[in-house]
Amino acid sequence: MDGQHDDHRVDANGRSQEEREGPLPKRPRPLLASLSAAEIAEEFSHHDPQVARVNNGSFGCCPASVVSAQIRWQRLFLRQPDEFYFRHLHPSIDRSRALVRQLINAPHLDDVSLVDNATTAAAIVFQNVAWSFMEGVFDRGDAVVMLHYAYGAVKRSIKAYVGRAGGHVVEVALPFPLSSPDEVVAEFRRALELCRADGRRVRLAVIDHVTSMPSVVIPVKELTRICREEGVDQVFVDGAHSIGNVEVDMQDIGADFYASNLHKWLFCPPSVAFLHTRHSSAAGRRLHHPVVSHEYGNGLPLESGWIGNRDYTPQLVVPTALEFAERFEGGLEGIRRRNHERVVEMGRMLAAAWGTQLGCPPEMSCSMIMVGLPSGLGIASEKDAMGLRALLREEFKVEVPIYYNKQSPDEDGEDKIGAAAVTGYARISHQVYNVAEDYYRLRDAINKLVRDGFNCTLLPSKEQR
Amino acid sequence: MAESSSPAALTLALTSQPSVPGMDPHHQDDCPENGLGRGNGETNGPPAKRSRPTPPLSPITAAEIAEEFSHHDLSVARINNGSFGSCPGSVLSAQAVWQRLFLRQPDAFYFNHLQPGLLRSRAIVKDLINAADIDEVSLVDNATTAAAIVLQHVSWAFSEGVFHKGDAVVMLHYAYGAVKKSIHAYVARAGGHVIEVPLPFPVSSNEEIIREFRKALDLGKANGRRVRLAVIDHVTSMPSVVIPVKELTKICRQEGVDQVFVDAAHAIGNVEVDVQDIDADFYTSNLHKWFFCPPSVAFLHSKKCSSSAPCLHHPVVSQEYGKGLPLESAWIGTRDYSSQLVVPSVIDFVNRFDGGILGIRTRNHDKVVEMGMMLAQAWGTFLGSPPEMCCSMIMVALPGSLGVSSEKDALKLRSLLREEYRVEVPIHYHRPKDIEAGRQNGHSGVTGYVRISYQVYNTVDDYYRLRDAVHKLVNDGFNCGMLPSK
Repeated sequence: MDGQHDDHRVDANGRSQEEREGPLPKRPRPLLASLSAAEIAEEFSHHDPQVARVNNGSFGCCPASVVSAQIRWQRLFLRQPDEFYFRHLHPSIDRSRALVRQLINAPHLDDVSLVDNATTAAAIVFQNVAWSFMEGVFDRGDAVVMLHYAYGAVKRSIKAYVGRAGGHVVEVALPFPLSSPDEVVAEFRRALELCRADGRRVRLAVIDHVTSMPSVVIPVKELTRICREEGVDQVFVDGAHSIGNVEVDMQDIGADFYASNLHKWLFCPPSVAFLHTRHSSAAGRRLHHPVVSHEYGNGLPLESGWIGNRDYTPQLVVPTALEFAERFEGGLEGIRRRNHERVVEMGRMLAAAWGTQLGCPPEMSCSMIMVGLPSGLGIASEKDAMGLRALLREEFKVEVPIYYNKQSPDEDGEDKIGAAAVTGYARISHQVYNVAEDYYRLRDAINKLVRDGFNCTLLPSKEQR
Repeated sequence: MAESSSPAALTLALTSQPSVPGMDPHHQDDCPENGLGRGNGETNGPPAKRSRPTPPLSPITAAEIAEEFSHHDLSVARINNGSFGSCPGSVLSAQAVWQRLFLRQPDAFYFNHLQPGLLRSRAIVKDLINAADIDEVSLVDNATTAAAIVLQHVSWAFSEGVFHKGDAVVMLHYAYGAVKKSIHAYVARAGGHVIEVPLPFPVSSNEEIIREFRKALDLGKANGRRVRLAVIDHVTSMPSVVIPVKELTKICRQEGVDQVFVDAAHAIGNVEVDVQDIDADFYTSNLHKWFFCPPSVAFLHSKKCSSSAPCLHHPVVSQEYGKGLPLESAWIGTRDYSSQLVVPSVIDFVNRFDGGILGIRTRNHDKVVEMGMMLAQAWGTFLGSPPEMCCSMIMVALPGSLGVSSEKDALKLRSLLREEYRVEVPIHYHRPKDIEAGRQNGHSGVTGYVRISYQVYNTVDDYYRLRDAVHKLVNDGFNCGMLPSK
């Protein structure tokens, strides 16, 4: 695409030459002062102001300036879609990919693809594994290892592709609450040993960087190293929550495949994610997007850049999202650090107020943390957890996901940390729009429920589907 | 639409309390339709709007239509609705309301609004296409995705030994490029034998197509092979003709073809779509091409998973896996589902026209034939198919002197028309197979065709501009050999 002689070129914010005030800066402009609290509130004033929104982890957030940029891109398409397709789409996706490459310290642009979300990235990786089984590259019964706390959709995907094609799926049992990363490493080694004892080759290890429920930060670099030592063919790190939340360095982690959503913690609108493939990975070159289109066979980045007519604008606003992050002190790293500090502070505040404990030590958390709920609430099932969450949303306008912890206590009726058997945890998030009041409202809501003698058996029973 | 690019102004727009379009007006914004929407929020939702048009008191005016499409680049003669479709301003506004609703409180959106909204859209589609059961209707991104769903299923069948290596899959030579690649990626890779049905073009009757199709089926069954799947376009893309899908499907049944997949990417809003009448196993069409939805949304019609009908799966597996394709497709991870939610608003839009969608497509067809004939006469050429084999699109031969001698030439000429004349029209390069026969038919020298579309926003001026642009090129002695090589 020759953009040099082109008067209708658009910049990274979707502005045409007519709309721009000046040339597009190659790097974000350093600002004299970072965003004020009032400016942050303005950027997120489209959030429901009545809701204590302490669940950035599930659906992320998108500031108004990024939404504006997306609308400009959408209008550009609607105005003249053929021109958009032939002239603007490809270079704009490439611009986003280049920024992602820098952000994640990936050595080659060709290794960076943009897809809808981590769920799609997982399907891409697992479909490739399925072909390997079906084409005899892997043998029936070869193993694929995943964490017990792998995301539900990813677990299903492994079964739908790998299990169906003849692979043997092994789950790494993980304790929760956790007191150190060593517990995770020990269980992981045990799972690999089990496979070896069974005489099974481990073809793929699927490792979460930050588990979803319950949420903890997994020592992925160490686990990847162990995989290499133990002869595991491929490592796929599902980093759905990572970017903008924990440090993400492709060369440091060294996995074969790494995926993360940009709409969770990187201020992009729904939805866009990246999938990175290690350059030396032979399997990487065989990855295909499951929606096959004109670019089939030209490499995953190009395949993913056109999967039929659809709205690609979430992929195009990555530069604007990064510009937004740069307006904060310390940029993205500053945001992460402050989010983490605040969520730990708020988590401790809640645990103290409720007489419970955190689900893991602070160093195993990120911008999210698990806080034990008072056992008197009587959360005894997934259904209870969902019902309590709905109650908090509707009666208290507090949005927080609740985790039902099935781990059985030891003989003393206590869990490993020694507290009375806590069966429910709230997963609180902290993002730049959150204020302390959000967490006080959660605190008070739970305290009220406890005071009123509420327990989950009082929840209305769900209608049968 | 009022343009506003400042975050402050947008914020103002975003914070206004949205009323959700297409929802029962008696329900408040924050009140779930049908009790607590827990889990994945599957509820029954309020009844879908009827899609039968009540005759409008006064149909939409030309000025109102222009207003609805005022976001189009008005300096462009946009006669390519077939490629990317179009979406009126009122539907875009409805989409923005859904998008704001999600941003405002995404968890509440996920648990309370998403599934009822999708169900409502599916119910409308079911009525539109005369499907027997809403469980047969899934919403997906586009026909390309639908093709991947069907073909992945065929791939598994080969890999799992349900189909045997060498069993055939038949497709039309003019199948869409992406679909052809998908067939190779899934079917050929898994051991299936792919047969292409050569189709004549220009084409003069359905019989020509049927004859070639029968020949291809015979080839497929040669040496004791089975034909496991026939992929048949309802309206081919390039060159564009309407295929007699009902008849071809019947022939497939007679000839023992296992399954029929009709790729009707262009069909809905363009030709009549009655899935019970056509009776294919799988039928897909894009709603963002001719049915005024924003990019992108399509439906895939398929029988419910049973002993006699295969279980299709969405390739992006999520927690709904195994609950049937409609539910699987309704949640494939966090993304923007708003284009799937505005179908009720589209019904409102089309019902403002005399005769609703039937009136629209009838008039589109009549006008595109009229314009096609005008161009053919002006250029001294001909149409690529008889009017009854076209829809809201038609192929018109370009003067041979333009010298379109390759796909590359076609693309470059298209760019030239876009950049120098601001005319947007796709160009098809047709390799002349039989020069002598061509000469006898008066098709001598013709190697290029334009595919013109007609949609409600078009005016005759658009086609005069194309006519004049080509005239000028011819008069200036232009031919594609003069185009710079990229």
